[in-house]
Amino acid sequence: MSAPDIAGGTAVRPSRLAGLLGRAVRWREFSIVVVAVLLTVYFQAVNDNFLTEANLQTLSQFIAASAIIACGEIMLLICGEIDLSAGHVFALAPFVMYFANQAGLPIWLALIVALLASSLVGLFNGLVTVKLKVPSFVTTLGTMYLLNGFTLTISHGSPVETGGSEDFANIMGASGYAEILWAFAVVAVMHFVLRQTRWGLHTIAAGGNLVGAAEAGINVAHIKVGNFMLTSVLAGFTGIIEAFRISSTDPLAGGTGIMFLAVAAGVIGGTPLAGGSGTVLGGLIGAIVLGVLRDGFTLQGINAFTFDMIIGAFILVAMISNIHMSRLQRIGRR
Amino acid sequence: MSGAREALRAEAITKRFGNVTALDGVSMRLAPGEILGVLGDNGAGKSTLMKILTGYQPPSSGQLWVGGEPVALRSVDHARALGIECVYQDLALVNGLSVYHNMFLNREKRRVFPPFMLDNPAMRRRAREILEDIGVDIPSVDLEVERLSGGQRQAVAVARAVGSNARILLLDEPLAAMGARESALIIDLILRLKAKGDLSIVMIMHNYAQTLDIADRIMLMQHGTVTYERAAAETSVAELMEIVRREYRARRGA
Amino acid sequence: MRDPRHDNETSDLSVSPRLSVLPRLSVLRDRDSGVARRVMLGGAALGSVLAAMGGAAPAARAAGIPSHPKWRLVFVNHVTTNPFFVPTQYGIADACAAMGCDYQWTGSATSNAAEMVNAMNAAIAGKADAIAVPLVDSAAFTRPIARAMEAGIPVFAYNADADAGRLAYIGQDLFAAGQKMGARIVELVPAGKVALFISTPGQNNIQPRIDGAQDVIKKSGKPISIEVIATGATVDEELSKVKAYFIGHQDVKGMFAVDGGTTQGISEVMRESRLAAKGVHGGGFDLLPRTLTNIKDGHLDFTIDQQPYLQGYYTVMEMVTYLASGGLVGPADINTGLKFVTKDNVEPYLSTATRYEGKTDKEMIVPRGGPIRA
Repeated sequence: MSAPDIAGGTAVRPSRLAGLLGRAVRWREFSIVVVAVLLTVYFQAVNDNFLTEANLQTLSQFIAASAIIACGEIMLLICGEIDLSAGHVFALAPFVMYFANQAGLPIWLALIVALLASSLVGLFNGLVTVKLKVPSFVTTLGTMYLLNGFTLTISHGSPVETGGSEDFANIMGASGYAEILWAFAVVAVMHFVLRQTRWGLHTIAAGGNLVGAAEAGINVAHIKVGNFMLTSVLAGFTGIIEAFRISSTDPLAGGTGIMFLAVAAGVIGGTPLAGGSGTVLGGLIGAIVLGVLRDGFTLQGINAFTFDMIIGAFILVAMISNIHMSRLQRIGRR
Repeated sequence: MSGAREALRAEAITKRFGNVTALDGVSMRLAPGEILGVLGDNGAGKSTLMKILTGYQPPSSGQLWVGGEPVALRSVDHARALGIECVYQDLALVNGLSVYHNMFLNREKRRVFPPFMLDNPAMRRRAREILEDIGVDIPSVDLEVERLSGGQRQAVAVARAVGSNARILLLDEPLAAMGARESALIIDLILRLKAKGDLSIVMIMHNYAQTLDIADRIMLMQHGTVTYERAAAETSVAELMEIVRREYRARRGA
Repeated sequence: MRDPRHDNETSDLSVSPRLSVLPRLSVLRDRDSGVARRVMLGGAALGSVLAAMGGAAPAARAAGIPSHPKWRLVFVNHVTTNPFFVPTQYGIADACAAMGCDYQWTGSATSNAAEMVNAMNAAIAGKADAIAVPLVDSAAFTRPIARAMEAGIPVFAYNADADAGRLAYIGQDLFAAGQKMGARIVELVPAGKVALFISTPGQNNIQPRIDGAQDVIKKSGKPISIEVIATGATVDEELSKVKAYFIGHQDVKGMFAVDGGTTQGISEVMRESRLAAKGVHGGGFDLLPRTLTNIKDGHLDFTIDQQPYLQGYYTVMEMVTYLASGGLVGPADINTGLKFVTKDNVEPYLSTATRYEGKTDKEMIVPRGGPIRA
């Protein structure tokens, strides 16, 4: 019995499809990569110190922190949630490490304790959101203030010097490229998780069709809580490596600034705020775009007052061209 | 029915939600390889019966037999393990995922090494096999399901259910919101499935004419009870409509 | 060489003798600053005529320094958008204009040390000619400063100091300023509860002041009980915190702050609740507009001028002399002094809008007459 063609909608020939589909996966990131390259060319043209070794190191430090936290936020965005408290776990974790170290634990163990503490914050965020059915925006807003106050209290508002031997500090972020190497490692792992594991697939399912995913038997509560914990651990880890980089553990570090940078990196890279899909590689490129903008304009000598205006204008231009490029790609696909 | 063991049998199923009685002593049987059409208006209890048969909810009282063995379904997974699969009205498909990922949702194949890594090539292959086996032509299993037409999506949802070694397939309004052409194609699919011989199918429908075309037997439900049961060939749309009207008038009169 | 600045009893403007090579520029307040500028402007006019005849870069010539490439001076700051530093930026701009340099004003708007370190790194990679940074964090700047020096870039600290390897510090002697405030507090409030507010504890630009004040108050032996409260980094936050504190502690006898925003907040609370009439005293630092108005209207007892204009101007001078002399001349610490502003001498601050106090960007020489009062 011949198989009738059920295709009632788009009729695409299989051979051309293979080629198109092969690139469809990278489609989403393609346009933002173009934007990143164009920006780099621009800044190098304006200031030939841009692509020097010294500045590449500096640039890598502008990028690393938001890239790592973006990995977590992207997973949450995909499954329909968000974590506003990430920047404050960033500030708290190094203090937990400091106090654990003061209490006698060797620095590497203190670091692990700090990461465990961060995961507890994520657990709290996840349980309140999923079990008590509070929208994650509101939950993490509350957590953000809680953490801020808590960090200020335990630190008495004063910064302290980050501990650890010089070697340990160098591995964990003090030496020039340490941070960006950590960032690449985290991005590589999270990219694998999102694309090649059940966890990633189920995260997409929970975001794309929550009811359907539950009907298929996926434990969506498990997925969401797990992603909250993941994000908090990544945020805590980032706070710790930044504390090693600048040798100072400061209660005012991080905050909503780094959280927004991370979410922005994710969105600029191609993860919609509405959820259901996302790209970790795109998040890295988004972080690169933001880092290039911030470092490039600082290098150029733009003064603080006009700085934000110019960054804002460039982000808009970059995103408008990105979205239009994506639109053209999609039309071309049809 | 014949001497062969029934695929599915229910006796005196009752379901109460507080004061409301959704099902009031429903009995039914499904022969192997048969298509049973369950008809009835909204509120007749069809969805509730479906939920009980898939293991989503337990009955307040009554007994079920699967393949001749008495069972008490503990969960959806338990029902699945016994070969009962359901295709819900909303299809439970994830738009952002490909056809083959949807077909293996929560049943994904994984490689031995590296650990945790999905075995996409194996899933792709098997997805193609299943689709071919039931005669569904999708251009590519890599397409995201949001790019398929309504009929193709329904077919993928059915293929997912069939592909997990179902013996009893429950379809909730499979032809809902479909035009004539797409309905014809899905009907063909259902008949092909029946022709394979190893599936028994229960379909919840509201279109009497289509149901009589496809089903072997029909069961009419009204207000939580089965009011009429007949082989499809032995009844007609007119007769069914009359039964419904009679019951409606009787209620109004009372 | 005679130091013409006799008008402030508590001023301590000590300038390194080496810098007296440029006598006109060693003193920059009121009349003398006017003279200096006039000379420079005149020189600039002359210089441009010379330049037309193939002479040296006009501005540089006028300042007594030979022609040089336009040096790029990077000023990193911890609160880039805080109005306190507006006069500082004018000071930097004026000095740069005088000495033919370019400057960049960058850093963090929220006292974020990591952002400041990033800005310093960018300056080093961008091969800045000199860098200035307030060392608000004791540990964060040691390595960046070492790297800058390694790359041959001189680094100066302004506004806040720490032991981090900088060449020189230009700013107020913070602990001493705190001590002076402590002495004034003991005068005003011999007994009772006193609240000391600080916006961001632990930061090196203000913590030493509160330490100094507490030091003097405790040593005075008077029955004064001190409470230290943190108020946050932004002006609106600070006002709310002071209000909230007062509502909860209405028996307080004195409220004093060590940063500009909180001082303004205290002055507003004292105005609102008419606390001066009830015998409560208040004071603080810096010359935010509402602070000055409230002093004039008798609500706040005093504020202390940190002379932010000088922190900009003098730092540029240090950088230029260092660069011009190949590192042989300088560096030297400069104490930009401290001045109590009270109801008696606040009037000129309010009635004139000057570039030197940051109230207007117009270039000007400020007129002055009559006797000079302490």
